[in-house]
Amino acid sequence: MTIEIRNISKSYGGERILRDIDLKINSGELVALLGPSGSGKTTLLRVIAGIEQADEGSGPVLFDDVDVSNVDLGKRRIGFVFQHYALFKHMNVFENIAFGLRAKPRRERPSEAQIREKTQSLLDLIQLGNLSQRYPSQLSGGQRQRVALARALAVEPRVLLLDEPFGALDATVRRELRRWLRRLHDTIHVTTIFVTHDQEEALEVSDRVAVMNAGRIEQYAPPQEVYEKPASPFVFKFLGNYNLFHGRTRGDEPGEALVRPHDIAIARDPNAAGASARPGVVTHIGFGGAVVKIELETEDKTHVDVEVSAPTFRDLNLKRGDKVWFALRNAQEYVPDFVI
Amino acid sequence: MSRHHRVIPGLPLTLGYTLFYLSALVLLPLAALALKAGQMSGPELYRVLTDPVVTASLRLTFAASTIAALVNAVFGLIVAWTLVRYDFPFRRLFDAIIDFPFALPTAVAGLTFANLFLKDGWLGGVGGHITAGINALAHTLGLGAPLPADALDFLTFPYTGQTGGIVVVLIFVGLPFVVRTVQPVLLEWDPEFETAARSLGADSATIFRRVIFPEILPAWVSGVALAFARAVGEYGSVIFIAANIPGRSQIAPLQIVTRLDDFQYAQAAAIGVALLTISLLVLLVINGLESFSRRHERQA
Amino acid sequence: MAGAPLASTSATLNRRAANGNPRVRALLIALTIGFLSIFILAPLVNVFAQAFAKGLDGYLAVFWPPSPPEGATLGVIQQRKLAEAAVQSERTWSAIRLTLAVAAVVVPLNIVFGLAAAWATTKFRFRGRALLVSLIDLPFSVSPVVAGLVFVLLLGRNGVFGDWATHLSWPDPFSLRWVGFDAGFPLDFERDFTGVIFTPLAIVMASIFVTFPFVARSLTPLMESQGTDEELAALSLGASGWRTFWKITAPNVKWALLYGVILCTARAFGEFGAVSVVSGHIDVNDTMPLRIEKLWNEYNNQAAFTVASVLTLLAVFTLVAKTAIEWKTARDHATAEGKQ
Repeated sequence: MTIEIRNISKSYGGERILRDIDLKINSGELVALLGPSGSGKTTLLRVIAGIEQADEGSGPVLFDDVDVSNVDLGKRRIGFVFQHYALFKHMNVFENIAFGLRAKPRRERPSEAQIREKTQSLLDLIQLGNLSQRYPSQLSGGQRQRVALARALAVEPRVLLLDEPFGALDATVRRELRRWLRRLHDTIHVTTIFVTHDQEEALEVSDRVAVMNAGRIEQYAPPQEVYEKPASPFVFKFLGNYNLFHGRTRGDEPGEALVRPHDIAIARDPNAAGASARPGVVTHIGFGGAVVKIELETEDKTHVDVEVSAPTFRDLNLKRGDKVWFALRNAQEYVPDFVI
Repeated sequence: MSRHHRVIPGLPLTLGYTLFYLSALVLLPLAALALKAGQMSGPELYRVLTDPVVTASLRLTFAASTIAALVNAVFGLIVAWTLVRYDFPFRRLFDAIIDFPFALPTAVAGLTFANLFLKDGWLGGVGGHITAGINALAHTLGLGAPLPADALDFLTFPYTGQTGGIVVVLIFVGLPFVVRTVQPVLLEWDPEFETAARSLGADSATIFRRVIFPEILPAWVSGVALAFARAVGEYGSVIFIAANIPGRSQIAPLQIVTRLDDFQYAQAAAIGVALLTISLLVLLVINGLESFSRRHERQA
Repeated sequence: MAGAPLASTSATLNRRAANGNPRVRALLIALTIGFLSIFILAPLVNVFAQAFAKGLDGYLAVFWPPSPPEGATLGVIQQRKLAEAAVQSERTWSAIRLTLAVAAVVVPLNIVFGLAAAWATTKFRFRGRALLVSLIDLPFSVSPVVAGLVFVLLLGRNGVFGDWATHLSWPDPFSLRWVGFDAGFPLDFERDFTGVIFTPLAIVMASIFVTFPFVARSLTPLMESQGTDEELAALSLGASGWRTFWKITAPNVKWALLYGVILCTARAFGEFGAVSVVSGHIDVNDTMPLRIEKLWNEYNNQAAFTVASVLTLLAVFTLVAKTAIEWKTARDHATAEGKQ
């Protein structure tokens, strides 16, 4: 199912959380809403779900080109997974997953046998078939997450909405679960939107990323494009580590250049570093396994972070206090945006 | 096509019912009280409230409530402290019965206290019980009866026609308020602060005075205020134990009942408004105190 | 409520380990035990001691007076005594019936109100919500006598609605009798009450006033802390509002509800001041606490304590139930925390 929202705004007590948002999601796509806390990403997800209502004067929320802005939450046929899962505490795993099927009006409700069959197949899908009689309090965080997902999928939603799906989990489980989510999505192909503040998660899992800041979508593109061609300094800064250089643009206006630490070439010989290489002194070396982080100080006392691969570092054979030459390989130049 | 419908259903129904029920059974009757008292002219109201019998009853109510609240302030704090900090036999039982005054009907409390402090009751007759015991012991030893029967009568609780009994029952009804507001604060108190203070060389008394007491002070004061407010309005238990002599041992709520029995509705309303105003003022003080301590906490 | 019980257990152990001066400690324990024994244990035990002052027979005789021995001829004084005892016990039974009837009306009404009020004030945000919450608590700060007084001023002779209320005629529910099919409908009320004040209806109203906040107050903090995620999850799965309430909200708050109901019932049984004022000191309007006062005034000490012992048992049951519920919620909480 395609989702399209046009011109959506939302304010709380005078504060504008969403400002004129437009977004179109293709059928079967997996889209991440990425942004820092307070950027409006969760509110946008809740407006799409129907948990929040957009402000008066906002445009429609279209599911397959049908306006659902005034359709109740329960009638939108969405599957919503809450950040803290909101599993029903007093029901076991099986009852949680079967809830949506049992809540259907009598005419549409499958028979009890069908409900059992369907629930069992979902339990198999989330690989928790042997824990169906457990209560949520007896499950680990990752297991709860999967139960919440299965519960949302049981009613065959047209779209799956996940609010910080891995936010409450520790690092290892997170990594495992997001791969699992990707595989699951490749199997069932339901249009999916998830909210996250973790750029790695968004880039790794999604088909397209909508980067949000202060109630606006700054960029909406596939992960590679977002990472390689950030539409704004904000996107650049939010997606990873960076060095900021002040200077002049070609049109001789004051501007700034942003460079990723791994996009800086470093050498002992000024000619080997590349064109317009500048000198610096190594002030710190941090070993991080495959990548080594080198801190340089230039003549005008600015700090520059450089990342090189471990083999390159071995070849360079650097120590603290060594003098080196560095050159920017892939700088993004922006004229400062004074609006933000 | 309002965009402002709520996602969770039921607000109009539940809010409507709440407002209706609240208005019909609480606000409307209270408005009647204000209306009736408002129908009196200023001088009339003044005359009612300065009637010697009324002033005596108000004075008694406040004096007894204040004494009871002060006793509870001290003992409530001791009880809360002991229950939280020390272990002793039947601690859980003693902890559980703190709520007994909340659960026991006030009439029963009045009845049993009145009986306890009768001349032959367990507490009222304690002097007589001791005298009789000593005499019985002496008698079995063949010493006759060394003590006159009324030797220890000064221990008899002077409740008839006096106000001591009123204070006793007001202590009873107010006790859980102090204990139950102080206890959670003591329970939440992190002993690490104390260890830190001790490591800095402070002794126990200093730690209590400078570290713990300031922490429990807001809860303690609001507990005492709640106990006081409850005591001011208390009726059921008091009328059993007081002699209820107008002008001497009649509490303010009883004045209301007396006026009602004489069909002096306006006068009853006037005293009622006075009592209600005081309770609401105490409530206001407590709320102010709570919001003050919340602000204080946020700053810290 | 959340977090407190489990956390406190371990903290308490720490705290007990670090005790100060043993002499101070012994003194404080002695003071506590002494104070609680005199002010709480002694009055409690005294109720039963006095109630059984004339043995079990004397206790039971308050409810079931001795009947004259078969065939014995009794003197006039003896006969009068027996007749008097029969009248007294009938009055006691009437007080018990009225107390139960009043509670049977008051408690369900306050449950419905408490649920509605808690739902409205915890699941929604609206202007005036804080004021509404304080108004619901208002009856707790009103003296019981004033609570009775306001109804006299509203519905009594010369009251605000006095003209209407003193002429209102309504059937006595206890007088519902079988009158046969000849009269059309086979059931009819044999007696009517006239007026409201000084009738059981006024007792019901005054009892509602004083027990008003209990249920709402025990539900509100819990429902507030539970938030709305579980309800939203149920609604998003297509459940109706009623189903969401019965299947999700109600099971989550059942213990708090039970606790509030127990407190409300205990107070409805035991209320003295407010009921005393609106009862007009008429014998047929006596509830159990009022009956205790009359027996006490008639110097029937043992009978007064016998009736009081029934109410005391109820109070003891209330405390046991409260402790059990607290223990139960603490344990539920502990298992919920256990596997996070």
